[in-house]
Amino acid sequence: MNATAFYFENSMAQESTEIARGLRRRDPDLLDRLIEQYQHRLLRYLLYLTGRRDLAEDLFQETWIRVLERGHQVNDKYAFSTWLFAVAHNLVIDHMRRKQPSSLDGLMDENGDESSFDVPATGQATAFDLTLQREQSEHIAAGMQHLPAEYREALVLRFQEGMSLDEIASVACVPLGTVKSRIYRGLSSLEQRLKGAQL
Amino acid sequence: MNSSRNNGAHERARKLIALAGPDALSTTNQLSTQSSNAWLAAHLERCSSCRAFAENTAEMVRGLRAIPIAADRSLVSTTQLKVRRRALELQRHRERVWLVSVSCAAVTLCALLSAVVLWRGFEWLGARAHLASSVWQVGFLVFCMMPALVVAILLLAKDRHLANHYGSYEG
Repeated sequence: MNATAFYFENSMAQESTEIARGLRRRDPDLLDRLIEQYQHRLLRYLLYLTGRRDLAEDLFQETWIRVLERGHQVNDKYAFSTWLFAVAHNLVIDHMRRKQPSSLDGLMDENGDESSFDVPATGQATAFDLTLQREQSEHIAAGMQHLPAEYREALVLRFQEGMSLDEIASVACVPLGTVKSRIYRGLSSLEQRLKGAQL
Repeated sequence: MNSSRNNGAHERARKLIALAGPDALSTTNQLSTQSSNAWLAAHLERCSSCRAFAENTAEMVRGLRAIPIAADRSLVSTTQLKVRRRALELQRHRERVWLVSVSCAAVTLCALLSAVVLWRGFEWLGARAHLASSVWQVGFLVFCMMPALVVAILLLAKDRHLANHYGSYEG
């Protein structure tokens, strides 16, 4: 068990080092591969954070340009994904500062448009459980949009990206205690909202 | 007293559940210590509201993970194209900076060498013409500054000419 864990840890560290080396060289082939590999995860993170697909797509492109430009700053201490999400997080903050001097709070219901964050149709068969699951996902997606952006970010990084609390703290540039309280408050608020929606 | 202790226990349990997510109901969740796990399991045994919170949390997290979000193929290819273009720009910029740096170094070296040779030349001429050293030294300074002065005068003249030209159009 320990040997397996050691093997995975070692290969992950090796991969991180190789990525860091490639980014310092600004290797375009490596970047192509990384864009392919992280496309869905990064877009999902940006979409949850901004709540708008067009903005998320713009920031998606900007993130990769920033990765190219700042590749020499990549930190081997964490996985590449942690650094990638930190870059995306900073770009979102920069975007909000350009619009209005605020924190991530400004991303909540920016235009008062609740339907901007859509769950796309899966195009699969309309079996009852699939419909039910889709309905539930829609409820959760809608509920997420009403949470403050900090809570959304913490929940997505923790439960969709499976990041450790330390990694989330590194991405969001906040202390560990803040991450814990954001996750707790985020889940509690989401639960309240979903309960309210069911009534 | 008893009720505040109970509230504290519920809050502690809910915080542990929130951090563990869907694993909260299993006794092997990785986030808490073994004693916390045991305490949480015992608490969930007797507290139905916290158990409901744990079940809801697990369901919410499962629902969250099930939301299908995918990047378009066109977004990916556009991004790759933009990144390649930017990489090319950066490479060209780096090459230009390198070229300018090398040119600056070469020019500085040439200037130093020629200054030494010129100094000797002016010294020799001054000695041949029986001039005071301050005279040939001023001559040396004027000679060295001449190219920069000529370029500055030309640039000023060009600016004035352009200003007159556009001024006449605006007038």
